[in-house]
Amino acid sequence: MFDKILIANRGEIALRVLRACKELGIPTVAVHSTADADAMHVRLADESVCIGPPPARDSYLNVPALLAACEITGADAVHPGYGFLSENARFAEILEEHNISFIGPKAQHIRIMGDKIEAKQTAKKLGIPVVPGSDGGISEDAEALRVAREIGYPVLVKAAAGGGGRGMKVAHSQAELSTALATARTEAKAAFGDDAVYLEKYLGRPRHIEIQVLGDGRGKAIHLGERDCSLQRRHQKVWEESPSPALNIEQRERIGEIVANAMRDLNYLGVGTVEFLYEDGEFYFIEMNTRIQVEHPVTEMITDIDLILEQIRVGAGGELNLTQDDVRFHGHAIECRVNAENPITFRPSPGTIAAYHPPGGLGVRVDSAVYQGYRIPSHYDSLVGKLIVHGKTRTECLMRLKRALDEFVVDGIETTLPLFRTLVRNQDIIDGNYNIHWLEQFLAQGGMEP
Amino acid sequence: MSKGKSTIDQDLIRELAKLLEETGLSELEVEQEGTRIRVARGGRAVALSAAPAPAIQPAAAAAPAANDLSKHPGVVTSPMVGTAYVAPSPGARPFVEVGTRVKAGDTLLIVEAMKTMNQIPAPRSGTVTQILFEDGQPVEFGEPLMIIE
Repeated sequence: MFDKILIANRGEIALRVLRACKELGIPTVAVHSTADADAMHVRLADESVCIGPPPARDSYLNVPALLAACEITGADAVHPGYGFLSENARFAEILEEHNISFIGPKAQHIRIMGDKIEAKQTAKKLGIPVVPGSDGGISEDAEALRVAREIGYPVLVKAAAGGGGRGMKVAHSQAELSTALATARTEAKAAFGDDAVYLEKYLGRPRHIEIQVLGDGRGKAIHLGERDCSLQRRHQKVWEESPSPALNIEQRERIGEIVANAMRDLNYLGVGTVEFLYEDGEFYFIEMNTRIQVEHPVTEMITDIDLILEQIRVGAGGELNLTQDDVRFHGHAIECRVNAENPITFRPSPGTIAAYHPPGGLGVRVDSAVYQGYRIPSHYDSLVGKLIVHGKTRTECLMRLKRALDEFVVDGIETTLPLFRTLVRNQDIIDGNYNIHWLEQFLAQGGMEP
Repeated sequence: MSKGKSTIDQDLIRELAKLLEETGLSELEVEQEGTRIRVARGGRAVALSAAPAPAIQPAAAAAPAANDLSKHPGVVTSPMVGTAYVAPSPGARPFVEVGTRVKAGDTLLIVEAMKTMNQIPAPRSGTVTQILFEDGQPVEFGEPLMIIE
């Protein structure tokens, strides 16, 4: 097991990792920018090191500073959280070169899944169903036209170096294809430094369903069920739940086994999430995230398995001692991501939290690093915290969520709590009747207007 | 930078232990100057923690001297994480001492990270009035290193 873990992140996930380390009895080092000197996890950690000024590239993305912090504290492992350097294969390699463990997948797997074209080809080879599309990147418009005619319009032009919903353009007909290709290429070059694009069939009303996996790097891997993350705004997940209202037990077991088998074949190490679009009973692979995800607590609530703890255990060379049969699903869980934004315009609302009272009671979990008097910095994401609720059934879960949302007090800044209070009372949501376009359509039709 | 270990006042602990015996109490906790010490009967439980000042209280509450100096107009802070050395090599003469007059750009100290030596230049001309670190001390970004007035 590790002697000392350096947490290379901030906010709620840094606190989450710190909690797991404490429960494992592993000393912790919290690194932080000057803007995060008063962060909760910094105070709770055994040691802390200020690594730079507020901008992420000078602090949380500053590899030399992180390495130096490992050196002066003697940390022998780094947990990268999510975002920042968590899917940076080069960072993982640099750490290994310095005899520091990177708590995450092997660098080669990060690399394969980081390139969306290669990820899709790898998924296909592993027997995971994929979205029909071009076989690799598109270099000429003529090729794009041919593929689009084969798979049928509408089609989606996607950046190979993109991901997380960024770098995508729809072409509804042949007439729109050239423009979509050109725009996508230009934007991809600007955003990711790489203008490679590929083509996929555009699905009209899919759900976003993802499978959580865990592997020990030596051929043992399990799946921990799915999460339905269809409720998104601008490709950012807002509400996640498990089980998906759209799946039955057979479907879950079938897709879960396909994915777990693929991870066994890969000798995948650590946690990961395989993301699908699901439509009319069919699953279509879109990408794999080789890290812990924001919405991991949803899975923890229905399986009673601590994913960060397992991540650290297998990361330290431990064998996976959970079999697929050990994974039991009970009840239903929903997570709401509460952001410091206006609930109607979504304009960011940084500032000081004047009053803070999180909900409590049976089946209520709040993963948040804020406290009364805390000043939300403007340099990073606007997540205030995650409210995760569990119930024996989806109905009980929704009732509990409604109750918990009504108790939740965050004053001094604007938050998206009103959005969730509206959603939890909405008939489509109550019926589980939504897809990845639902939320934006709801907002565009004035769902949040007074 | 905060560490779990800091300098332990052994005399204080001995005194507290004696007090425990004399009074028959099972546990004593004392807090002063941002340091909290708890002595308990029935084991070696000496819990030492540096209580950090809560964000909403004025910084003066539990701030050690270095915090005040970080606001000093003549302060030179570390631009990076690493280990600070006073001299170009072990045993050599230090770059500067208290009283040394420096010009802007003169090397004040070295901060080493991963075997790379980084010379830290004086941001302005003046006289070194305080040196705030020990040779070989780990330093973090923004840590006050010297005062040049």
